[in-house]
Amino acid sequence: MRRALPFLLRRLVLLVPLLFVVALGTFVLLRLGGQDPSAMLAGPTATADEIARLRAQYGLDRPLPVQFLIWLGRVLNGDLGHSWISNRPVLAELVDRAPASLELLVLGVLIGALVGVPVGLISALRRGRGFDHAARLISLLGFSVPTYFLGLALLLIFFYVLEWAPPGMGRLSLMLDPPPRVTGSFLLDALFAGRWETAQSAAAQLVLPVASIAILCAAPIIAQTRAIALSVLSSPPIAYAEAQGLPPRTIARIALRNAATPVVTFIGAELVGLVGSGSLIEYVFAWGGTGQFGLDAIVKGDFAVVQGYVLLLAVFSVVVFLAVDLLVLVLEPRAGRA
Amino acid sequence: MSHAATLPAPRRFVLPHRLRAWTRRSPLAAAGVLLLAAFALLAVLAPLIMPYDPVAADAAAVLQAPSQAHWFGTDANGMDVFSRVIFGTLYAFAIALPAVALAILVGVPVGLVTGYLGGWTDEVLMRFFDALRVFPSIILALAVVSAAGASVVNVVLVLGLLDAPVFARLVRSEVLALRSGSLVECAVATGNPVWRILLVHLMPNTLQGTLAQAAVRASWAVRLSTTFAFLGLGIQPPTPEWGAMIRQGAEYMVTGQWWIGVFPGIALILLSLALNMTGDGLADLLDPRRRSAG
Amino acid sequence: MSLLEVSDLHTHFVTRDRDDRIRTARALNGVGFTLQKGRILGLVGESGAGKSLTVTSILGLLHPPARVVAGRALFQGRDLLAMSASERSALRGNRIGFVVQSAKASLDPLARVGEQLVRVQRAHARRSRREAMERAEAILAAVSIPDPKRRLAAWPHEFSGGMAQRVVIALALVNEPDLLIADEPTTALDVTVQAQILDLLSAAVRGRGIGAIIVTHDLGVVAQYCDDVAVMFAGSVVEQGPVAEVFPRPMHPYTQALLAATPERLRLGAGLRLGGPPPNLYALPEGCCYRLRCDRSRDVCRSAPPLAQVGDQRAACHFAREPAEAEA
Repeated sequence: MRRALPFLLRRLVLLVPLLFVVALGTFVLLRLGGQDPSAMLAGPTATADEIARLRAQYGLDRPLPVQFLIWLGRVLNGDLGHSWISNRPVLAELVDRAPASLELLVLGVLIGALVGVPVGLISALRRGRGFDHAARLISLLGFSVPTYFLGLALLLIFFYVLEWAPPGMGRLSLMLDPPPRVTGSFLLDALFAGRWETAQSAAAQLVLPVASIAILCAAPIIAQTRAIALSVLSSPPIAYAEAQGLPPRTIARIALRNAATPVVTFIGAELVGLVGSGSLIEYVFAWGGTGQFGLDAIVKGDFAVVQGYVLLLAVFSVVVFLAVDLLVLVLEPRAGRA
Repeated sequence: MSHAATLPAPRRFVLPHRLRAWTRRSPLAAAGVLLLAAFALLAVLAPLIMPYDPVAADAAAVLQAPSQAHWFGTDANGMDVFSRVIFGTLYAFAIALPAVALAILVGVPVGLVTGYLGGWTDEVLMRFFDALRVFPSIILALAVVSAAGASVVNVVLVLGLLDAPVFARLVRSEVLALRSGSLVECAVATGNPVWRILLVHLMPNTLQGTLAQAAVRASWAVRLSTTFAFLGLGIQPPTPEWGAMIRQGAEYMVTGQWWIGVFPGIALILLSLALNMTGDGLADLLDPRRRSAG
Repeated sequence: MSLLEVSDLHTHFVTRDRDDRIRTARALNGVGFTLQKGRILGLVGESGAGKSLTVTSILGLLHPPARVVAGRALFQGRDLLAMSASERSALRGNRIGFVVQSAKASLDPLARVGEQLVRVQRAHARRSRREAMERAEAILAAVSIPDPKRRLAAWPHEFSGGMAQRVVIALALVNEPDLLIADEPTTALDVTVQAQILDLLSAAVRGRGIGAIIVTHDLGVVAQYCDDVAVMFAGSVVEQGPVAEVFPRPMHPYTQALLAATPERLRLGAGLRLGGPPPNLYALPEGCCYRLRCDRSRDVCRSAPPLAQVGDQRAACHFAREPAEAEA
């Protein structure tokens, strides 16, 4: 912890320019089409009055840099504007739905990593043998399936054909009421409230979307873990451990320990990349989380929401990268000094 | 190894021999190349192969299951799914290839110049690429395309520009590794101008890595380009594009007409897989450590 | 019984070329030498002669595509090459200490130095952590690392190259081995540190009365620290014997050329005779490997050279008994 604090402070200082660039990028996003931003923010149903009010509100008649500063000031105050579809504040809409998305993403990545890391390690140890080839083919397949089609295919097989899974229509059976909100995850909240039937339904609804995300993230994790393990196994410390006559189990432990940092870093990057895939999975399963909401906004042109969504994702990525850095600090005696 | 390379061997004998050796070493890659060639052939010969006009509606043959007349069945408009899947290959190539070409055309020179010259432009650009990484690429692509208007040209531009950093980073890291080596030192010492060092000495060394990456990124571009249409952005349903077909097919899965969405989905997976396998094999070929008899 | 007796050791690299043809690099071709208890053997030769490969072959540390195809390596009468991997592993780091070339790169970066010293002890003996830690501290002191108690808790990256090399020597000695093998122990170090490390190494060997092999390309190191020398060329030992006999009266033309090329000799006006590339390991010349570079090569050199012996000195050459012209 003695090392963590100055490290964290240094990182936070470095974050300021990054977040500024991120905000600028998000702002520019809206201007790419060259259309009237006030009309885009207000939506197709807006009256001329509403558009004029928005224009004054956001200072859209002022020069561009001034507009950016005005917008930035509002964002820093937590005002991301209103959705023209739901007519609610964007921030509230996004935050309300966040637990549903996080539940999906965290479970999916967790399972994907729990499967992917061991498979990658075994592949590296059995390099060039049957298991390795099979793992490689499966990982290549995982790389090649489009996210949305994977969701559809799982639904087709496990719901329509085999009838093992519930339909992909949200987070709970339509017959049941959602549990009282504590964490925002229906499964956890139902368990807290002791409503077993609800918990069961929430868990059943989770199976296919979580499986989709697990499959999507396992593929690159297998490939990367294998590559990392191979390079660690052929590194001087392992050769030296063999020369010292250390038992195979000790050598395996040393290798694992040395592979941990790059694997953790990679999984962190995966988590960030998977947010996009996760939103597609939410879309297919009508999950109703932030991801589906954001995608709907993109498709329907609800630009205040799109802006807020992209900004939120960027902040999420920054938080994940920061968490990974802290984890690496714990894992690596060398980290945090450079 | 230089000994074998200088032997004057008859080329038309050596080449198939090498190919066979490569096939044996990485059968996955060979299968990928073969599959890719089949798709390319399909795209070129599409007008000859298609048994029906892919956009000809036939009210008498709506939602028919796969049969002798319609191998992949027909969709809600009575259009032949088989013909549409074949025609869809054209769309996949027409979007993915220019997108990757654009990414290479922008990314490789940027990587070469920034990697070789370094300095503040390099620093600023790399920080900019870092900043880009905090946006999930799928969402960024979708948001930009939807803001800019979902025309095919815009999709190509956005995919190409979003992917350029991948190539810039790759080339830059290879240039950085080479810059401190004797190759560049010798080239500088013998009085080569900078442009010549970049184009003649450095670029050829980054070419193979770029090629392997290009196949993998083309696979990404194919998948992402169909995602636009699947979400209803840009290309709309009657058009025989895979994503649009899967969108239509998804509606009919509930009622049991699975073939509308499944066949274009399988075609999409196969093309994506072929590109990934090719890229994987090329990367393999570059790694001399894999070249042992074991 | 000799401490270590290596005979007829052959190691090959089997690879496929780009045309998928199998290629065999014959990297070691019948290496043989003997080491007695209490003596230090210098294994010398130019790069690619197979010095390091010889020790890694003996210790069973080869990875594909390299493998030992023939030979014996009797350590205290037991053949290292015939025993199982686990038997060999029980000897390594225990009865045979190994000093690597690049200490800083080879130490486990994620384990404290004390932990690494404890690990190698407990891998080979039943010993409590406490006792192992006490021994670790003692051995760090023995290799002249200042403030050993505190250094036990240090990470490898906190050591300088010379200090890390001392740690590696401590790791090799902590189990009180009978044989110490050092693979180019000072190549990666500054010249001033090199002498310190070699002094430490030879003092440790002499003090314990054990045997040691020092792999090096530096004839000065051999002259100063070793009792015996084995000169390698293209995967064979071309000449061996006590340093005191070989250096003043080298029998093999390669040894003669090698010695003539040291800065001291050159300053004395001896002509430079060394030259040419090492032979192609994929297509070794028949007979004497050195004949393509040798100025005394005759037709008879196309047949395998006999082993000539004078006292304890042996050389594999058809003309070994003839005095070298350059010396005359």
